[in-house]
Amino acid sequence: MATKDRSYKAEKVIERLGKKLNRQVVGSLVGCVHCGMCTEACHYVLANPGDPTFAPAYKGDQLRKLFKRHYDWTGRVFPWWVKAKSVHTDEELEELKDIIFGKCTNCRRCSINCPMGVDLATFNRMARGLLVSVGIMPEGVAVVSKDQWEIGNQMGVLKEDYLETLEWMEEELQSEFEDDPSMTIPVDKEDADVVYSINPREVKYDPRTIADAAKIFNLAGENWTMPSEGWDMTNFGLFSGDDDLGGSVARRLYEKVIDLRGKKLVISECGHGYRSTRCEGPNWGQMDVPFVMESSVITMLNYIKEGRIKVDKTVNNESVTFHDSCNNARSCGLFEEPRELLNLVVTDFREMYPNRSENYCCTGGGGAMSMSEYTPHRLKSGKVKAEQLKATGAKYVVTSCHNCVDGLTDLIRHYKLDMKVTQLVNLVSEALVLPEKKVTIPEAAEAGLLAGKKILVVDDEPDIRIFFTSVFEDNGATVFEAADGDEAIEMARKEKPDLITLDLNMPGKDGGQVFEFLRKDDELSEVPVCIVTGRPELRRLIYDRPVRPPEGYLDKPVDEETLIRNSRKILELA
Amino acid sequence: MSESLHFAEHTLQEMALVFMGIVYILRVRWFLSFKAGKERQAATGSSNTTPKKGILYSWVNIAMPWAMESTRSKPFMYIQFIIFHLGVVAAIGHSFIVPYAKGLAASANYVLILQIFTGAAFLVGVLRLIRRFGDKYMRAISTPDDYFSLILLTVWFFCAFLAAPHNLVDGETVELTFFWMTAFFLIYVPFSKISHYLYYPFTRFYFGKSMGHRGVYPMQRGK
Ligand code: SF4
Ligand code: SF4
Repeated sequence: MATKDRSYKAEKVIERLGKKLNRQVVGSLVGCVHCGMCTEACHYVLANPGDPTFAPAYKGDQLRKLFKRHYDWTGRVFPWWVKAKSVHTDEELEELKDIIFGKCTNCRRCSINCPMGVDLATFNRMARGLLVSVGIMPEGVAVVSKDQWEIGNQMGVLKEDYLETLEWMEEELQSEFEDDPSMTIPVDKEDADVVYSINPREVKYDPRTIADAAKIFNLAGENWTMPSEGWDMTNFGLFSGDDDLGGSVARRLYEKVIDLRGKKLVISECGHGYRSTRCEGPNWGQMDVPFVMESSVITMLNYIKEGRIKVDKTVNNESVTFHDSCNNARSCGLFEEPRELLNLVVTDFREMYPNRSENYCCTGGGGAMSMSEYTPHRLKSGKVKAEQLKATGAKYVVTSCHNCVDGLTDLIRHYKLDMKVTQLVNLVSEALVLPEKKVTIPEAAEAGLLAGKKILVVDDEPDIRIFFTSVFEDNGATVFEAADGDEAIEMARKEKPDLITLDLNMPGKDGGQVFEFLRKDDELSEVPVCIVTGRPELRRLIYDRPVRPPEGYLDKPVDEETLIRNSRKILELA
Repeated sequence: MSESLHFAEHTLQEMALVFMGIVYILRVRWFLSFKAGKERQAATGSSNTTPKKGILYSWVNIAMPWAMESTRSKPFMYIQFIIFHLGVVAAIGHSFIVPYAKGLAASANYVLILQIFTGAAFLVGVLRLIRRFGDKYMRAISTPDDYFSLILLTVWFFCAFLAAPHNLVDGETVELTFFWMTAFFLIYVPFSKISHYLYYPFTRFYFGKSMGHRGVYPMQRGK
């Protein structure tokens, strides 16, 4: 019930704060001496000089004043003396929301820099949970939480789409390995030694990482499987502060592994997923997990050390740096293994400074990628990270976190850095030394592999069009070219091609718009489309559309062999 | 020595100490009435990091200025912190030495050392006041209690500096001020931010335990 001078929501927040307090949180709430030593630890402060509202202690005080007013004696008796203050209106709660969601990524960097051991990130998460419990949260948080509650994963990927993607990736693998029967993606296999769980982002925007992981498991001779349900190892409960959601999501996965009698749960490269599943899930879910849980980084490292897979690091000869995900490094102690693995699969690894537990947040953490209202803040605050990246002079930044992939990609674009983001699984997959016979295209057939087919190549980069055209023409196809979206539609209508290769990032109509148009056009809807992009994150331009998914995906740069193989596969010639 | 000074050195201090002790006990009981969160997950990180090592590291962290970026990058602030806290120890120590070890209090070396500590702490107090009033970030996070506690301590250091020679020939005002201030300080502390040292072992214990279990403490820095 709302009291006379306090809204219902404010009343509930105060009441629930009391229930959520534990000794660690109370210690952090009473322990701050306002010394200001943590101020410069926060990337928000460094990127917004002169604005004290970004200071960790200031942000912490917004919850602290509520705690003091209602639960701490000095604050109850002399509130003005210690700046204790209650909340009364929903507007005040909205203001609190903008601070705890919009000005802090819960990265924990201030926590490790506080001489008093005040863990702001932990009680900031708790404050988020309080607001979420009364329905006050950024819209993105509400949407994603709802998807995770209702559909079981935070990107709303349906079970059939997930399974179709696994099948598709299995086909890709088999085509790469010439129908090698060992190249499979087993689903719901019982008694497997490894149950592999992933981030739904991999299904939606980056299925290549699934295929890469499958390749590694199969070449290592692993007895592995992927679950058909509860496969999402990410957990929005970490970001929203909702322990009920956190517990329910974690249990869903644990119970599936138990059902399958899996021996080990391997968690794909994702910082918040790893932290949620490996380090927080048993606490939120109040469950003692009876199997081993491990990051795929450790699994891949062990495969190499045990000689189960062989790698040739000279394949990855570009300069590479490593970004520590805050969740991995500051909350789970995972920072040496990725470096050890990197040194085994790349020739030029350069440290970024500061690093490991002292690394700066990519600014995409804490659920920030789903809160578009704070994007300008986020990008501005990424200045520190951008400078760190730039100073390495590396061509690639590797990170073991899907959130960081998106966060860093945004920063690289925003700050115009000449750099790409990748993950360890991709580098290990690239460096794999494959058994000799596996990748070949029958030479006799090569001359006319695409004979008689009409292919429309859509790309705004002339070099790519020239390359694709020459490869297709050399293999007997008739090729048409379009440099932008409008031209592509016009050409497709005119020539009725058998296949369209479609770039996503183009001036004017982007690839996503063109794709949707083609799919909705009566005459063109059945024309197979292969998406070709240098930025896998742009795949959302496709997936978010209410039409049938494309028949194929290729990541730039594409080599001749992959281009022919994939085109033949789509045209059902393979 | 007048009766009022005798009272201030003995009875008043004892009463203040008892009061402080009682409030502290209540404070700790209140703190411990909250349930400690438990970590169920298996440990992560290198085997060199355990909850025990984490706790120990966390406790001694403050004595290792190189361990945290915040202290490493601000050596002047760290030195100030050390001097300030040594000043507190010296001034509190003085309030016991005068009544219970008069001989030591009369030694010239003792007076010199005490004046060095409390004088330096007084100067640091002034610097800290300038920072708290002058720095935008510090003002934004400061409460009346923060200002008052700092002013109280700074003035108290000054009184301890003046009271160090324990010279009663020219009057007892300085001594009386010092002991009355000490008593006020002892009574005020449990209600103010100065009581942080009461929570310090606990907050650092739990933070260290968690970070040790998670493979973060003892911290490893990049080469
Ligand atoms: S460093 Fe710790 S004690 Fe100092 S202001 Fe920050 S949170 Fe408070
Ligand atoms: S947790 Fe990270 S983002 Fe939040 S205040 Fe601390 S340093 Fe800043």
